[in-house]
Amino acid sequence: MKKNILIFALIAALAAVFAAPAGLAEGGGTTFVYARADSVTSFDLHREITSNNAFAIDKVFEPLVMFDAEGLIGDYLAASHTISEDGLVYTFTLRDGLKFSDGADVTAEDVKFSLERHLAVEGPLPLEADIASIEAADEKTVVITLNAAYTPFFSELANFSNGILPKDFGGKTEEEFFKNPVGTGPFVVSEWDPAGDLVFVKNEYYWQEGRPAVDRLVYKVISDDNQAINQLRVGDVDAVESLSYANAAEIAGGPETYIIASGSWNVEELFFNTLDEHFSDVHARRALALALDREALARALTFGYGEAADAVLPAALRYSAAGAVAALTPDLEAAKAELAQSAFPEGFSTTLSIPSGNNVRLQEALIVQAAGAAIGIDIRLNVQEIAAFRQDFRNLNYSIMINVAVADFPDADSIFAFQVDPEGFSNCFWTSYRSDEAVALMKAGQVTPDGGERAEIYEELQRILAADAPYVPLYYPSILVGARADVEGLAVLPNGTADFTGVVKK
Amino acid sequence: MRSMARERTTQEKLRFRRWLRRALLRSALVVALITVAVFFIIRLVPGDPAVMVLGEHAASDAIEALRDRLGLNLSPGRQFARFLQNVFLRGDTGESVKYGVSSRALVFQRAPVTLLLAALSTLITLGATLLLAFLAATHRDGLFDQVIRVAPAFTQGMPVFWLGLLLILSFAVRLRWFPVGGLRPGFGGMLHSLVLPAVTISFGQIPPLVRSLRERLIEALDADYVTTLRAARVPMRTIYLRHILRNAFIPTLMLFSVNLSYLIGGTLVVEQVFAVRGIGHLLFEAISNRDFPLVQAVALYCAVFVVIVSFLADLIAHRADPRTLT
Repeated sequence: MKKNILIFALIAALAAVFAAPAGLAEGGGTTFVYARADSVTSFDLHREITSNNAFAIDKVFEPLVMFDAEGLIGDYLAASHTISEDGLVYTFTLRDGLKFSDGADVTAEDVKFSLERHLAVEGPLPLEADIASIEAADEKTVVITLNAAYTPFFSELANFSNGILPKDFGGKTEEEFFKNPVGTGPFVVSEWDPAGDLVFVKNEYYWQEGRPAVDRLVYKVISDDNQAINQLRVGDVDAVESLSYANAAEIAGGPETYIIASGSWNVEELFFNTLDEHFSDVHARRALALALDREALARALTFGYGEAADAVLPAALRYSAAGAVAALTPDLEAAKAELAQSAFPEGFSTTLSIPSGNNVRLQEALIVQAAGAAIGIDIRLNVQEIAAFRQDFRNLNYSIMINVAVADFPDADSIFAFQVDPEGFSNCFWTSYRSDEAVALMKAGQVTPDGGERAEIYEELQRILAADAPYVPLYYPSILVGARADVEGLAVLPNGTADFTGVVKK
Repeated sequence: MRSMARERTTQEKLRFRRWLRRALLRSALVVALITVAVFFIIRLVPGDPAVMVLGEHAASDAIEALRDRLGLNLSPGRQFARFLQNVFLRGDTGESVKYGVSSRALVFQRAPVTLLLAALSTLITLGATLLLAFLAATHRDGLFDQVIRVAPAFTQGMPVFWLGLLLILSFAVRLRWFPVGGLRPGFGGMLHSLVLPAVTISFGQIPPLVRSLRERLIEALDADYVTTLRAARVPMRTIYLRHILRNAFIPTLMLFSVNLSYLIGGTLVVEQVFAVRGIGHLLFEAISNRDFPLVQAVALYCAVFVVIVSFLADLIAHRADPRTLT
């Protein structure tokens, strides 16, 4: 009898265990679970730059203007805007009935407070425009005056770091406010573990009628790729951010999954340390660039999800000269001839640094190594743990590296200021490249209004960079998101963030 | 006769006290050495915590400001002095660089999951060890015994991550008996989620224990006292439970306590493969991000835990068999 009771208790316990609910978040309504590799550690929009935080901040705070999937910028919290002819005065009129997630009205004073705090904080994504004043002309009108024209300013405003928050943090302290942030975005933070998952609920006061369609959005942290893929396959998550190319075929071909691909503002590139004894010689850089078959590389590594790159500006950004820069068309004979003009006509040995744990980068490195061998450049691979890799390249302790250039906002200057300006902290993406001609064009592009003249400036700049080859664009990667077949309306923007406002689960 | 027994008891007490003194001193030394080693080794590894937090494109000024705030620009000696001061005066292991919250709070938040995983794995390990060793010993040189003796070559040779993936694909993705990873809500959900990770850890633990227990059981089965007990018609069940197992299990328990640190180490890889957010997962993230305070906190608390459990295992073994006191 005693034995029977024990067996019964064991079966009951097992049944209770196996009957445990499968979902991560409980509660009524639709829940959308999005797998991400890293947790959200802060909502302070003015002090953050990394995507783990940025792509959560932009669900809570929204800017006056915003870019779409094509990178085109339009009014967002602003109903309309005007820019004076001299490019110095920007006037924005807020939408009617705009409210924060706590029900308070959004006013021009909130916009003034938000942008002024951003200027005061001097965070990692600063407003580069020389701003003279930000004024609230009335309840709904904001006037921003610049000391000098700066064309990228309008694009800068579309950045997540220029989202609008309540004046004086709605009466809370900064610390309290960013623990329970209040914005105009489609979602409100409900449960948040800075070292784990994040649960949003829908903002009941959201200005886009009928959106978001889901009641809860969960950011589930899964740092292991295989885990994320398997959880997607069994339906424990609805979508996976940043799918690797290697996993794309499996998800695209799965009976219950599919891929959402989007062009990105990123360029995968080979970077040369121009202070290196070999690569200070432009002919050595050009030789390796000419030896590389970028078409074959992109085809082999991206499974059709990436395009071979020739221009430094991503193809998804306006003014990209992709397809028009022919300065370094792959040609083995030309590469050998170029090397013959260098100070090392017999070839030389060098090192290519890449971060570990990234198979695509490793394959890229092997292809570059083979290209070098074909013209007499012996390339040894230096596969480093990511922290060591970052420390070394920032200290210019490398010869060649593979890295990705990223535009923070949809303007050509976001790339050029980072990769051409010798006075910038990035030291021309840590290549120490110097070109007065390129700098002059970069500065001209900053003050020339959008249009044909600006296009010409940037085309010339991209031609110079291709010829000087301080960095060699390899390919324009796509952003891949894996989703369950029952997910509709999930949009991925070119900076990598996802727009969940239109998501429905069938 | 009585005075001899009393003298033996007094000698045992003295030996126990001597062992206790040595064990406590040894434990304190182990914790101190681990703390010092981890503090300096993590700083010798290339990589800047500030760059890992702010991202590789962050401005140099912002990185310097964060390094200043974190005290990373101080000499390692001063950093260590500050660390010791905080630990001993305030019981504070510092704020996590990456997550901006107390490292102690993070460790205590994650510890229950790892403890549950370790407990479940221990249960599976001990249960399987008992069963397999018993079957092997009672079917000596038979097919089952041969299989048990050969199996370790395969199970111990399997990389943990590979075995974990295999179990996930078979039992979670294909059969859907268990979750692929993570932790489901509620205690039952947690247990359900931890079955596959626990089995993965146990796979590497079981073979040496089975081998040890099998040998002890065979020795015990051949011992004169067993023959005597059988001749006295004592039921076999009583002989096994009261005499053979008790004698044979003590060395196995000691071997298990030695293996405990491997068990804790095993959780590091297993938690990563199964996306279980426990101490191992936390340590993995902390090392990747060069989150010095968090690495130090995890190492310190893990060292204290392993030392305490090893001490308790030794204590149980010594209590059960005072001959093991040295």
